[in-house]
Order: sequence, then structure tokens, then C-alpha cells
Amino acid sequence: MRYIRKIAGGFKTLVTGLGVTAKEIGKKPVTLQYPHEKPELSTAYRSLIKLIRFDELGTHDCVACMQCVNICPSYCITIEGGKVEGIKRKRATRFEVDFALCSLCGLCIDTCPTTTLEYSRLYDEAGYERNWTYDLLAEFEGYEPEFREKQREVEAKEAAERDAKKAAKPSEPKDGGA
Amino acid sequence: MPSTLLDHLHPILAVLIAISGIMAVLSFNVMFCIYAERKVSAWIQRRMGPMEVGYHGTLQTFADMLKLLSKQLITPKGVDKPIYHLAPIVVFAPVVAAASLIPFWGGVLISNIDIGLVLVFMFGGFAVMGIFMAGWGSNNKYALLGAMRSVAQNISYEIPLILSALSVVLMVGAMGRGLVIDGQAVKITGTNLAHIVLVQQHADIWFIVYQPVAALIFFIATLAETNRTPFDIPEAESELVAGFHTEYSGMRFAIFFFAEFSNMFIGAMVATVLFFGGWDGPILPGPIWFFLKTYILIFVMMWVRWTYPRLRFDQLMTLCWSVFIPISILNLLVTAFVIKAS
Repeated sequence: MRYIRKIAGGFKTLVTGLGVTAKEIGKKPVTLQYPHEKPELSTAYRSLIKLIRFDELGTHDCVACMQCVNICPSYCITIEGGKVEGIKRKRATRFEVDFALCSLCGLCIDTCPTTTLEYSRLYDEAGYERNWTYDLLAEFEGYEPEFREKQREVEAKEAAERDAKKAAKPSEPKDGGA
Repeated sequence: MPSTLLDHLHPILAVLIAISGIMAVLSFNVMFCIYAERKVSAWIQRRMGPMEVGYHGTLQTFADMLKLLSKQLITPKGVDKPIYHLAPIVVFAPVVAAASLIPFWGGVLISNIDIGLVLVFMFGGFAVMGIFMAGWGSNNKYALLGAMRSVAQNISYEIPLILSALSVVLMVGAMGRGLVIDGQAVKITGTNLAHIVLVQQHADIWFIVYQPVAALIFFIATLAETNRTPFDIPEAESELVAGFHTEYSGMRFAIFFFAEFSNMFIGAMVATVLFFGGWDGPILPGPIWFFLKTYILIFVMMWVRWTYPRLRFDQLMTLCWSVFIPISILNLLVTAFVIKAS
């Protein structure tokens, strides 16, 4: 009797097992066909930093203040830049990140005074060379002259307006002060 | 009464047609089964399986076969050369011979031998010898262990396999007595595979209805005979590298693989003949019914494979000797008594 019960019990568990796997057949696969499909990245995903393009400027807003270079614990950011003729703010002319050194701490993003830095969505970078230096300004190259031209015009206009205001009320502040 | 190719054609032509036909069917089956195996395992594990080569990976097996064909045949030092080289052939040749005995279709058969069932089991036994030759000739402890396990397992499971088939043979013998087909009395032999189907066709019932226990035992024993997963201890990857074919590479390995999948095919076909009425079925033509049933059984084999873990060796033997053999003997005795009483 025990023998039969044992066989029947074993048989029952086997059938249950077949049921478990049968239920999985026909369900949607969880596979992501990677090179053909891209994963949806978390908003908190950290990768190489990138420069944000601001709509009102048409380009990035790096002013080469060097705060990110100074705060970077891995010394992976290289920036060159300076004063540009006819524009008030400084502009970066070179912005390179050695991704091999970067520890993705995000201090540069936190410290950026013009908030032009953020994490990019790069995730499948692989290669055959050791050189992982990315030129972050590459994508903005074409926009820079246009931006400068526009900025010069805007600043000239602002200056003109200011001059006009000054001309309209030349002695008001002086009177108030006296 | 099914006629054979030999009745219609010149013997040599018949043999040539039969061999090329069987090889074509077996090759197609192996290609299809490997693809199906991957797809079924993928479905069960919620993956996609091969997707890259051809539409949904349909040409993947073909690509794998080309890869195996182009691989170097490595013969390790210290192998027993004649045995080592002969083993794949000894494993493979009986598969073709056994496949030629299967009645695909009632119209024209490849061969119609009165001891067909016995011969199929005999060719099944040959495979064991080939596997042991491979294990012994390889001069590798894992291969030898795998081969020894295979022999012990195959010989043990042949007993319930044959006993459960025997209860069907008894029924065929009893039910076929005085069978008249198309106004012609047919002398039915229980071990003739075509006659087994004819009796089922004539009685309008499949033997799985009369013999569910035998069918179940036959199916499980077939799994063990073909070294499929719950019983795949001869090639247990986690213990024995690859078992008896550890030392085989390239096409030699592919031949073992070919034989394994073909054995599975033959096991499913014999089960179809014995318990599921062979080519018998409404509307659709015979061969379609036959292969439909066969592939459903193969699907169940794959389903079983991707469900259960591998048995330990003593569990395997206990299962055979203390469960399947007593039950199949009992089943045979009950069948015999019922036949005698009625």
C-alpha cells in the first residue's frame, strides 16, 4: 500500500512539474534582442557626462570656469577656454573627459554654475583601444560661430538699450544720492 | 494489406530509394528536432531561442552543421584506434536500419517484416554497444564512466520497454484473429508493426485506451533508452564532461548527435505505432497523421526534458527495478488473463 502511495505521490508531483513548465509556454519572452532593441535606461542612470544644449542659446553654456576640473577626484576633465572677442562670458574651446579615469561620482554635475553638465545615456561603449577620451564639444562645433554671432548682436543690443536708458535719464541716480 | 517497396520495384532500386528516403527523413528530422529543442527550451524558460540566422533562426541548425563539418577531427593519443573509429558507425548504422522498419504509411511500406518490432528493439540494443565502444575506445575515464552508466541503464530499461510492448503484441494477436480486410482474410502477426496499426485501424480504437499503463511505461523507458534528460546520466555534463562522446569532435561528434536525435525519433515512431494507431486518422492522409503524432510525442519528450532535473544513478536503477519492471510484468499478466478469459 505504501508502495502504491509512493508511486502515486511521485507521479502527482511529476504532473505538477509539467504543469509549471507548460504555463510558461506562450508567455511573452523576457529577452531583449540587444543589438536590435535598446534597453530603457533608468533616469538615475550614470554614464559619461555630456553638455546640455539650451534652446535659448542653441548650444551648450560652458563658460570654462574650471570648477568641475578642480572638484574632479579623478582628474579626468580637461578644459581650455577664455574670453571671446565681443562677448561678455568666457567660452570653452576644448572640453575632454577621459572616461577610463572617470568614477561617475557626479561632483562636476553638482558643481557646474551654469548647469550645463548632465549624465549622458551612453551604455554600450566598447572598443579595441585604450583611448577613452571623449571630446564633449564635438557635437557643438557647428553651432558655436552662430551662437557667438547671435550673442554679439544680443549684447550689442543690450548695450545700446542701456546707453539709451542712460541718455534718457542721465542725472536721476546722482540727484537721489545727493 | 500494406505492400512494400520490394513488391513494386526492382530490389536494388527499392533498396536505393529506401536508403536515400530514410536518410532524407532522418536528416530533416534531426535538423528540425534540434531547432525545435532549442525553441521549446526557450519558450519554457521565457527566452526566444535562435533568432539570428534565417527567419526566427530557422537556418541556425544548418549553420551549426556547416560549422561541425568544417571542424578538424581530433584523434587523441592513446585511443584504441579501431574501436574509436568504428564506434560512431556502430551507433549510427542501426538507426537507419531501425527507421526502415517503421510503417509510415499503409499504402507502400519500406519493409514489412513479421518480426519488425523485435528487430527495432534489437537495433536499439546495438546502439548500446556503439556507446560502450566509444567510451572504451576513448581511453578517457569520463567517457568510460559514461559508457558504463549507459550500458547499465539501457539494459535495465529495455526490460520494461519490451514488456510493455509485449502486452500490445498479445492484444494484437488476440484481436487480429480472423481479421478480414477488403474481403480478404489477413493472418495477423503481433510483432509485425504494420499489422499492429491495421488491428488498431480495424478495431477503431488506439491501444492507449486499453493499455494506458503500458503506454506510460513505454514512453518513460523510451526516454531512458534514448538518454534524454531525466535519464541522461551517461552524458551528465556536470559530472562527466560530455560522457561517452567526450573525446569526439567535429563530424564524429555530430554523428553521435544525429544518432541520438534519430533514436528519439524512432522511439516516438514506435510509440505511435504501438499506442496511437500509426497512420490511422480521419480526413488527412496517413503519413501526415503519422508524423503529427510522432512530433507531438517528441514535443512531450522535450517538455519533459526541460521540466525535470537529472536523476541520480541509484534513483534511476531503483525506479526501473522496483517500479517499472514489477508494474509492467503485472500489466502483462493482467492483459494475458483478460485475453484468455474473454
